[in-house]
Amino acid sequence: MEKVTKDKIKAGLEVFRQLHDSKLLTHLNSCVHCGLCADSCLYYLTMKDERMIPANKVDVVASVYRRYHTLAGRLAPRLVNARELDDATVEEMVDLLFGACTMCGRCVRHCSIGVDIEYVVRMGRKILSDMGYVPASLQATVNAALETGNNMAIPDEEFLDTIEWMEEELQDELEDPQAEIPVNQPGKNVLYTLNPREPKFFPLSISAMAKVFYAAGESWSLSTTMYDVTNYAYFSGNEEHGATIGQRIHEEMEKMQAGKLVLAECGHGYRANRWEAPNYVKKAFPETVSSVELMAAYLREGKITPDKSLTEEVVTLHDPCNLVRGGGIWHEQRYILNRCVQHFEEMSPHGLDNFCCGGGGGQLAMGEYNDRRLKIAEIKAEQIRKTVAKIVATPCHNCVDQLSQINVDFKLNVQIKTIAEIVADSLVIEPKSQK
Amino acid sequence: MVVYNTVLMYWFEWIALGALLICLSGLAYHMIRLIRLGVQDDYSARAGSPVAGVFYSFTGGMDPRHKESAYLNLPTYVSGVIFHIAVFVTIVLFFLFLTGVNPGQSASLILSVVAFSGAVTGAGMLIKRLRDPKLRYLSNADDFISLLLVIVFLILAGLTLLIPAAYPVFMLASSLLLLYMPLGKLRHAVYFFAARIHLGRFYGWRNVWPPRKV
Repeated sequence: MEKVTKDKIKAGLEVFRQLHDSKLLTHLNSCVHCGLCADSCLYYLTMKDERMIPANKVDVVASVYRRYHTLAGRLAPRLVNARELDDATVEEMVDLLFGACTMCGRCVRHCSIGVDIEYVVRMGRKILSDMGYVPASLQATVNAALETGNNMAIPDEEFLDTIEWMEEELQDELEDPQAEIPVNQPGKNVLYTLNPREPKFFPLSISAMAKVFYAAGESWSLSTTMYDVTNYAYFSGNEEHGATIGQRIHEEMEKMQAGKLVLAECGHGYRANRWEAPNYVKKAFPETVSSVELMAAYLREGKITPDKSLTEEVVTLHDPCNLVRGGGIWHEQRYILNRCVQHFEEMSPHGLDNFCCGGGGGQLAMGEYNDRRLKIAEIKAEQIRKTVAKIVATPCHNCVDQLSQINVDFKLNVQIKTIAEIVADSLVIEPKSQK
Repeated sequence: MVVYNTVLMYWFEWIALGALLICLSGLAYHMIRLIRLGVQDDYSARAGSPVAGVFYSFTGGMDPRHKESAYLNLPTYVSGVIFHIAVFVTIVLFFLFLTGVNPGQSASLILSVVAFSGAVTGAGMLIKRLRDPKLRYLSNADDFISLLLVIVFLILAGLTLLIPAAYPVFMLASSLLLLYMPLGKLRHAVYFFAARIHLGRFYGWRNVWPPRKV
């Protein structure tokens, strides 16, 4: 690790100096070290390492705050465990805040006081980001998005090839040569985004959503300039980068004169674009909805008609933390599954209490912590196993990635699907030309 | 019973009064700073009600049936509740003593039971903090000092109700507690409420709280 310098310390401490509101101050001063949050953290539950107790993650940030901004911390640092922002502290911060937290927010809900632990972790990451200590792999993902417009640096040509291929698949499936995946078509009702994992690894989820749009008769388009729903700056803690990425998608929306922005199934992508980006750039954004909300609306309005009998297997649902606890969407995916599959079985616990799959917080992008990421997945594997489900649905492509790996490593023998794939599988569609 | 006199106060009562003023000033400093900084302007389109979220934060959001920190740790949770009830009662008692109000014999007996119960649960929490590896790891000197000060405060309050001669010592112990309060973790007396307001507002804005039935 690069040595901590005076300039880096100054940059890091600016986070405490530039308080825009009382939120950070409140949460840095609230923890009473009761330790009861340990039972809610998948890192502590699987590793039994005291360092990984959420309260300790708060404390590593709060201890720096106390050292520089409280009377007791200045006069008697050992009394209140106030720490200098030095090499040892920074090393511990990187390890705990980046390497031992998925920012799932489960501990927040169960904190006896109400400390927003996840927020403190994010602010801790911001300190590290301002000091230049974001893990290289995570920073590379952010840089790829900043430099190329998508976090996997997919060239336009490759992207368009994939879209063309999926369009052919869609036409074959629907037996309608007019079925299309529109690209760069302005003036549509919906500007749809994708997780770059889709064109790169899971292209069938693109044609699945295109099939849903087709069935609903939606007017929509993708954009080659900006289709990436993710914003990994949310995980790196760099709000300037977050603003740049967030702003781009909305500029594209204006350029395309779209009616609304529909975010692909991506937990943090939804949170970053729907809730965080307007605050990064300090302005209200146009209508932004999750594709899960949109599909639920199609079903409610009768725009699409599913046939439950087409999915006979038991289906369970994994709730992405940022969509549910961080975004307030957990009814819609349940409504969809209850309409589209015969047997829907909840995991225990689920919804607001659901456990993270282990891939959140940028963990999938940080190869440095792969062993931990798979260790904490034990809990999710056990949850899935107990449902006896054969299909695990989840409205998040990052979760799909992590669950796919869990599926192999823990020999679960299940299929992992997005909600769009479940909906698409349940649709019986007459080609439009025959209607 | 000790003869309380609001006009001719004892020296230890003056000390306690001074400590109380310093404590209140310290806590007021924390509170004013929070109020001046205000709450975050949220530019995202609101999906729920921040007011309902804050209400839930102080009600259903603290329901022990829905909090793992409570239902997975029931003895600790119950101890914590008894401890805090005893602390609040004893704070009221402190003001009663200082203003010369005598609670009366039967009330004194009940109040002393409350104070001693708080002290016992506090002692239990102290032992747990010393023995539980998780808590030992998380703890710093401030955690122990804060807890010890409160336990002594509770014991002496209980004793004063039964043995009036303990009153000066109670006032001096209270003074120490009051002086320490704004400096260490005991200032969560202010920040607890701020934390729950922030959390309720955050979740309420996003329509996470209050939870809706599926």
